[in-house]
Amino acid sequence: MRTSLNKIKTIDDYFLRRMPHGDALLFEANTLLNNYLADDVKHQLNTYAIISQYSRQKIKEEIIAVQKTLFTAPQHRGFIHRITNLFKKY
Amino acid sequence: MNSNKLSTVELREAFFLALYKKAFPNFARYVARMDGSLEEAQDIFQDTLVIYYEKLASAQNEIVVNEQAYLLGIAKNLWLQRYKAGSKNQPLNDLDIEVVPDEQIATSKILYYLETAGKKCMELLRAYYYDCLPVNDVATLFGYSGTHSATVAKYKCLEKVRETVKQNTLKYADFIE
Repeated sequence: MRTSLNKIKTIDDYFLRRMPHGDALLFEANTLLNNYLADDVKHQLNTYAIISQYSRQKIKEEIIAVQKTLFTAPQHRGFIHRITNLFKKY
Repeated sequence: MNSNKLSTVELREAFFLALYKKAFPNFARYVARMDGSLEEAQDIFQDTLVIYYEKLASAQNEIVVNEQAYLLGIAKNLWLQRYKAGSKNQPLNDLDIEVVPDEQIATSKILYYLETAGKKCMELLRAYYYDCLPVNDVATLFGYSGTHSATVAKYKCLEKVRETVKQNTLKYADFIE
């Protein structure tokens, strides 16, 4: 792998706790001494947050699609009837 | 349940459908008794399934003995938090996702860009980091010849997305100018 990818891998290993304890301590010391590394770490952390946000959005879209099927498809009529009855106001 | 079995959209669809049928009626009954609406119950249950899915994906060896009771527990907690503590319309969205605080990211702009220009990369990264699929499953799913190619592709995608995030990160100064 090229150097830039190896740097990404190092940060990734650190956050995924795949780094031996001694190496992790050295890595933390480097982030204090090297501003470029500290910046890369920060951007990588934000990248993980973006991935989480994207993925959560996608899984929620899948769940909403399932819900839509369940509440509209004729084969689930019994289920729909059972649920809507619960919310009928007397 | 092994989350590895949920590697495709079709498998997840069948999984969520089964959970809806199994656990939603009890929760809906609870919400109805609490004078809530069907829409509120559905909204909370969606978030419940997201939480449950994330738990299964991240803790692969943990076994949930009573899935129905577990889901009902999560859903009731979310209901109480959201509808009884005065934060009625606060979505689940990313309450637990930390972003480095001294810079504000134009998140929606980045997400929009990544969804259009970098969808394949985002799906690959999702499989690794969110779905927590084993690398050999990721390689098969995305058509890589082996685990090494899939791993290199992951780092390339991470680099690409990180560069986008970096370019779109707005410094505080950008807001006050």
